[in-house]
Amino acid sequence: MIDILQINPGIWLILSGIICTLVPNGPLTQLTRKCLVIGAPVFTAFMITQIFTSDIVVAGLITIADIELTTLRIDSLSMVWGYLFCLIGVLNGIFGLHEKCRITDSSALIYSGAAIAGVLSGDLLTLFLFWELTAISSVFLVWRGGEHAYAAGVRYLALHVLSGVILLIGAVIHARFNGGSYVFNHIGLQNLGGWLILLAIGIKCGFPFLHMWMQDAYPKASITGTVILSAFTTKMAIYTLARGYVGTEILIYIGAVMTCFPVFFALVENDLRRVLSFSLNNQLGFMVCGIGIGTELAINGVVGQVFVHVIFKSLLFMSIGAVIYRVGTAKASELGGLFRSMPITALFCLIGAGSIAAFPLLAAFVTKAMIISSVIYEAHHNSVLYLIAAMLLFASAGVMEHSGIKVPYFTFFSHDSGRRVKEAPWNMLVAMGLAASLCIFLAFPWGGYQMLYDLLPYEADYKPYTVDHVVFQLQLLFAAITAFCILKKSGLYPAEKRSEILDFDWFYRKCGFHIVKSINRAWNALDARLFSTTRDVSNSINRRLYGVFSPIGGFSKTAPSGLSAVMTAAMLILVLILVYFVR
Amino acid sequence: MSSMSLFPQWIFEQGPAFLIVLPLLMGAVTAILPNRSMAWWVTFFVTLICTYTAFGLFQHIYFDGFLLYTMGGWAPPHGISLIVDGLSAPILLLISVMAMLTVIYALPSSISEIEPKKRAPFYAAFLICFAGLMGMVITGDAFNVFVFLEVSSISTYVLVAMGAARDRRSLAAAYNYLIMGSIGATFFVIGLGFLFMETGTLNMAEMSAILSELNGGTRVSKVGYGFIIVGLGLKIAMFPLHTWLPRAYAYAPTKITIFLASTATKAAIYLLLRFTFTVFDPSFDYIAVMLKYLIMGAAIVGMVLASFQAIFQSDVRRVLAYSSVAQVGYILLGIGIATSSGLAAGYLHLLNHAIIKGCLFISVGAFWYRFGITRVSDFSGLFKTMPLTMGAFTLGGLSLVGVPFTAGFVSKVKLILAAAEQEMWWAVLVIVFSSVLAIVYIGRIIIVAYFGSPPKINGSTFIKNEAPFMMLFPMWVLGLMSIAIGVNAFGIGDGFVSASEIAASVLLGGRG
Amino acid sequence: MSLIKKSNQLGKAIDKQEDIHPFAIPFLWLGKKKVIDNFIWFPFSGLILMILIGFLYPQKHPAPWDVVPGSWALIGFVSYSLIVLCAKPLTFLLARPESYYGEGGLLDPEFSVENVEDGHD
Repeated sequence: MIDILQINPGIWLILSGIICTLVPNGPLTQLTRKCLVIGAPVFTAFMITQIFTSDIVVAGLITIADIELTTLRIDSLSMVWGYLFCLIGVLNGIFGLHEKCRITDSSALIYSGAAIAGVLSGDLLTLFLFWELTAISSVFLVWRGGEHAYAAGVRYLALHVLSGVILLIGAVIHARFNGGSYVFNHIGLQNLGGWLILLAIGIKCGFPFLHMWMQDAYPKASITGTVILSAFTTKMAIYTLARGYVGTEILIYIGAVMTCFPVFFALVENDLRRVLSFSLNNQLGFMVCGIGIGTELAINGVVGQVFVHVIFKSLLFMSIGAVIYRVGTAKASELGGLFRSMPITALFCLIGAGSIAAFPLLAAFVTKAMIISSVIYEAHHNSVLYLIAAMLLFASAGVMEHSGIKVPYFTFFSHDSGRRVKEAPWNMLVAMGLAASLCIFLAFPWGGYQMLYDLLPYEADYKPYTVDHVVFQLQLLFAAITAFCILKKSGLYPAEKRSEILDFDWFYRKCGFHIVKSINRAWNALDARLFSTTRDVSNSINRRLYGVFSPIGGFSKTAPSGLSAVMTAAMLILVLILVYFVR
Repeated sequence: MSSMSLFPQWIFEQGPAFLIVLPLLMGAVTAILPNRSMAWWVTFFVTLICTYTAFGLFQHIYFDGFLLYTMGGWAPPHGISLIVDGLSAPILLLISVMAMLTVIYALPSSISEIEPKKRAPFYAAFLICFAGLMGMVITGDAFNVFVFLEVSSISTYVLVAMGAARDRRSLAAAYNYLIMGSIGATFFVIGLGFLFMETGTLNMAEMSAILSELNGGTRVSKVGYGFIIVGLGLKIAMFPLHTWLPRAYAYAPTKITIFLASTATKAAIYLLLRFTFTVFDPSFDYIAVMLKYLIMGAAIVGMVLASFQAIFQSDVRRVLAYSSVAQVGYILLGIGIATSSGLAAGYLHLLNHAIIKGCLFISVGAFWYRFGITRVSDFSGLFKTMPLTMGAFTLGGLSLVGVPFTAGFVSKVKLILAAAEQEMWWAVLVIVFSSVLAIVYIGRIIIVAYFGSPPKINGSTFIKNEAPFMMLFPMWVLGLMSIAIGVNAFGIGDGFVSASEIAASVLLGGRG
Repeated sequence: MSLIKKSNQLGKAIDKQEDIHPFAIPFLWLGKKKVIDNFIWFPFSGLILMILIGFLYPQKHPAPWDVVPGSWALIGFVSYSLIVLCAKPLTFLLARPESYYGEGGLLDPEFSVENVEDGHD
């Protein structure tokens, strides 16, 4: 009898995803599927509570060909991700209730299950397995976006599978340096394996120059697809960083650059889901930077930030998703004044925007402050970090710009686009409402944020709601809004224009494409030449072989007996020469 | 020893003579039998009894070793002796088993191939040919070898010519075969004459003793060996002397092709081994030169060129015939290596090839019997119309190529190991290359049969039309046998390997 | 033809201007020009207030730039302006027609307000 407590809880989600794939279509099974989509994450969370009975639980040991696999490891770090993914799974399930699509349901279940199983796995090989599974299962969500999403999906899949392969190579090298142990603990950059694994994680969590897939694929996925996608992949990558690369200095700089550069792209981007994808990238930069700092405070800040980030980011994607569902587009140039017809969605979107911009009393305030504080505390020992802190503050202003102001302003306020649509469906409102209340609750000064802090891996005695924190954060935010108003009034604020913004992916989508195309053309020309040459050569060889060996060929012509006899005589002479003269 | 109790004692005492005398006598009787089906029954029982006897002798030499039978009680060198040892016993068994399976196959096939009134003489000729082959293998007297060689050859010419009822070209083929066979026999007997001049005896054991005393002898024995090897080379179808073989195989009655392909060349190879290794001795320098340059050279060239020829043939029986020339190359290569592992590998391939080719030719005969087809292009869709027969053909074909778990694989691997032992990497290369060519010529047929669609007759696809049981039985016996050797089922594979090793030890040292 | 159809649809959309969500009715003043024009006073007064309080409660762990009063306000203002002012050159550098990659671009609504002047204020 298999002890179900030995089984990685993510497997339950994957199993229910497979069941979803198998049940035939129909009104009743539609209900079953939706029950599974919401029920399975709840059950998984329950299983985690059952398994996580002590500080660190290691289970599901399997030995395959002398390699010991730890398929289940729950400790104070991975537990947070486990619960978080279950929670967001339920929210996404509610958000997608209206959608009658088997592919979305099953792919979402398998994807979230793989993400949970990945963060709860205790060795690099199990991680690799689920790492690839997340990529493969999630690409269907991208493809659900329609025909125009196909190419983006292929690019997404290619990069993620590549990331998995690099992870595997890195893991093998790393294990060689560690006496063959694949246990997933601190990795660091001592050897090539460490660098390769970092590269793999870098692809998954959007390091600069490796980030393009995110802004490429997410905006093109289906409405629910984007919401689901935004929650898991990158956060799983952040978990692996937090597990393996705490205190790795290079991450501080990578993180700082990661917070800053998306700000500019988000500014000029017209598609609001792509703006949110850049914003996601920027938020990940804060987390990467915090992991690079690596103090207890910083790690607490990162974990807390991940937790609330997933919630408010989903909230923002959900609200834009609701707008797309009603209006049919997420292009800022096409939207405006929607608060008249979708006031509730607008309210939730404002709460999400306030959360991401870190307004006091809203979610990110209690966690982002920890990260920035930890950088400033560390800067007392290493003054370079002041520059980093300044970059993070600059990026905070940037967050305010693209997520805090741009997204809600151009969607719900701004000039009236004249569009009068219905309010979002009830299930979307419920999902957004839950997420919005969590945003408020988790930052609630009297009993709310303390619950969040209780989840964090280290003892947190940080006080977010001191007067100076609140005041200076408000200074920053108010200054940003004032600047916005002034710029808008003076006409310096750019109008939204429909356009495609080039990003680093230009190098492979356009430049690389052209190179490949010209190589292909050259190759085709060469190939035609080669083909005709080889055809001529092989034809002539064939003809000759045929001429010699075929029944009509000289070699097997019906040899007259006389010729055969002469041949025999010749043979005899040869034999006699051999016998006589060769020694 | 328990299995020995299956055989009455007289087999061990009189068996060797019985193996020659019975078919010869019954051949004469069969020729005058009025009833055609009775002729078949007689032939069948003769081959059955011979198989039984040969098996008994085989068992006997396995446990008691060498057996010498003196005709009429006259001891050699004055009397005629018959020898059954580790070298000849497996070949005797092989010939008689193949004869028996051929006779089983012949019952349905002669209905379509032989005119009714010629059937009794046909079986008579068959029995005489069988007796001649047995005699060639079993006799210990060099001149007797020539006699039996002629007995089997002359009856073979007749048998090949009997294909005229089916295809007139068989007359020309038989004529050509007759000329070449006679030249070969003449060369052989000239060689024997030289040897007699040198040694003054015709008994092989005596010859061997005298020759080794003379340390190889003078030029006379060298020339004698030269004539013998060319004469036997013709019979073996050693590469440049193979020209008679494809046509003889292609136009003879199918059952004769089966019998010839799996026994006649094998008996001749046996004689080559017997003369080269026991009458002469590989330690004589001219024998070593001959093995190294002539035998191996012919083997290598034959393996490659004949395989190429097989690829370009349009008639399946000619494909298989050229393939036989190539496979003889494998056997000669093993002989040319001349170490115990090389000889064992060559000998094993000899046995395996007889089984494989028997299986292939029986199935091709069955195709001819049902549809009258022998061309590769006509094989389209045969897997659907004659699945069992095509299955046996596929087994045989895979074995010929040397796919793992088949007989061909076992002997080719042994051959490669033997060559590698002597560091003859070029030989390994040629074996592999020739096997690749075998994939091409066998694969070509199998692909057409499996993926082609059956021909349409009067607008409707042809329905299944399986070969009769009397044909299916022998072909599946041989096909399963080749698999059994490959996977060593019931120890059959080990039995073959140890038989070949014993034969090699007989060749290289004494009469073990 | 298609333009007429488009404007017809738009017309329909504007006809439905009255179907404003009941929850939104108390907040319609947000769309009034006067409110929009004077909205700046809300963040501006908040900003001044916070700078003043910032004098009373300075940072407990000051960074070098915290010697300047209202430092975070300054950072926020300058950063924000800098970012927005970057938009023009960036658009010039990076913006391309939507069909640039030839993959069909992003989702479009059934009718666009892009070409219809009335839709804008």
